[in-house]
Amino acid sequence: MKAKMNRRQMLATLGGFSAAALATALPARADDDTWQAPANPERIKPSPVSGTTPPGLPVTGLRGRVVVVGGGMAGATVAKFLRLWGGAGIDVTLIERETVYTSNILSNLVLNGNVAMNSLYFDYAKLRTNYGVKVLQANVVSIDSVRREVAYSQNGVQGKAAYDRLVVAPGIDFDFPPGLTTPEAQLAVPHAWKAGAQTLALRDQLRAMAPGGTFILSIPAKPYRCPPGPYERACVVADWLKRNKPGSKVLVLDANPAITAEVATFTQAFNVTYRGIVTYVPNAAVTSVDVAGRNVNTTMGPFHGDVLNVIPPHRAGSILAGTGLVNDAAGRFAMVDVLSYESTAIRGIHVLGDAAATTQPKAGHIANQEAKVCADAIVRAFAGQAPDPAPVTNSACYSPISATSASWLTAVFAYDPVSKTMVAVPASSGEANGPSGDHYQDMFVWFNTLMTDSFA
Amino acid sequence: MQRLILAFIALAAAPFAATAQTAVSPPGRLLASNCFQCHATDGRGGFEKLVGKSSGEIYHELVEMRAENKPGDIMTRHAVGYTDAQLKLIADYFATRR
Repeated sequence: MKAKMNRRQMLATLGGFSAAALATALPARADDDTWQAPANPERIKPSPVSGTTPPGLPVTGLRGRVVVVGGGMAGATVAKFLRLWGGAGIDVTLIERETVYTSNILSNLVLNGNVAMNSLYFDYAKLRTNYGVKVLQANVVSIDSVRREVAYSQNGVQGKAAYDRLVVAPGIDFDFPPGLTTPEAQLAVPHAWKAGAQTLALRDQLRAMAPGGTFILSIPAKPYRCPPGPYERACVVADWLKRNKPGSKVLVLDANPAITAEVATFTQAFNVTYRGIVTYVPNAAVTSVDVAGRNVNTTMGPFHGDVLNVIPPHRAGSILAGTGLVNDAAGRFAMVDVLSYESTAIRGIHVLGDAAATTQPKAGHIANQEAKVCADAIVRAFAGQAPDPAPVTNSACYSPISATSASWLTAVFAYDPVSKTMVAVPASSGEANGPSGDHYQDMFVWFNTLMTDSFA
Repeated sequence: MQRLILAFIALAAAPFAATAQTAVSPPGRLLASNCFQCHATDGRGGFEKLVGKSSGEIYHELVEMRAENKPGDIMTRHAVGYTDAQLKLIADYFATRR
């Protein structure tokens, strides 16, 4: 693969939309009707200025250039820890098309009005000032793995960033079913699985729904982002409908044969807490959507609803299409060596987070940990050392079950040298005994600490 | 006697290991970074501040939480995910932080 690949094959033209077109001067409010990405207070020059050297970075004597593509949970974390652990000699450039990251975590609480949309925005100012990360707001145009360069476009100006190591953390994109392939259809039937405009579109449809209506939520087959997330959403919406739209129903159409996470908590919630409101239909994979008729067609038959929320099957972010990095059996995600997250297809390129095919869940908390394993491995590589042979990662997550209660699930993963995969330590995997108000409060401590560890 | 010899070998090897390892990736740092999501970077806050505690204090708390075996306690779940040696490395790392 490596020997045969020529540079042209690596040049993938990417259709990323312009972040500049979305940027406006006004920050969004919780009750905004339209979503606007807040403007970055700092104007970014087309070529990166040299990184500052904040006090506190260790002196390691190491030198190297790392380009990070994608400023989500994994991308922000790897940029921070490369500087924090590698020192000022590790030049880190983060390329991200948006001015801010919008957290998917807690975004279900925008639907019931508990959380303001703008409390989910995280910018890159602290990565610059605290760690000297160079941040480029730009669209990646192509990746050249032979010359080790990333070509980008920034406000119409073309530029190139050279790397010794490239980290790509583009998140996910969707395979939309027939009926949902146009932007209009995708707003009429939102996925709300990338927080922002989609979240507000779904919230507004729920607010406009007549009491007694039916909310349909469809869940794609595994692997998808945030395993408990769709069930959590069903619960949060059921709770909100119960209080605000009496007589309304929630219909959960799951492509999977059973609930995929926090089985005890969600089974109890669907069967007892929201009995008579939530109906759970397993093995119902969406085959097409009739937007005008408000019908979701599935392998278990057609279902009619008033507000439709179809979460389509996922694949690695489209930025990876055509790069050769998407090499798992299904052709959807990027295979990596979980000691370093280096691609199994192309040397020198690491793939992190939801875009990678690993045995770990696709979720922000563990993406943060994957990023630390990757940062440590790259720092060691610059010193001529092999990666840590026994990495450990953990996944933890709080899930709101109502407007006032939450649950949690957690797992610790250890490297298994035989299968060369991360394997959950059995006794470490589990869920809370049930939802509680204390867990709801803890959820915000977790969220704030996790986001600070990733972005500041 | 055997233990003494091992200690001597470890001491003799230490200067080389230390220059190579502490500069690049101190022991326990990557393991301990699993705690940062909830206890802040280098254990400086979050649910409970870990900096300022001794290694023994942190290690014994972790061992206790593991031994309590309360599956409904999120820290029990985390503590059982690590070997004794790993818990010791994590505790040692936080004890070096300020």
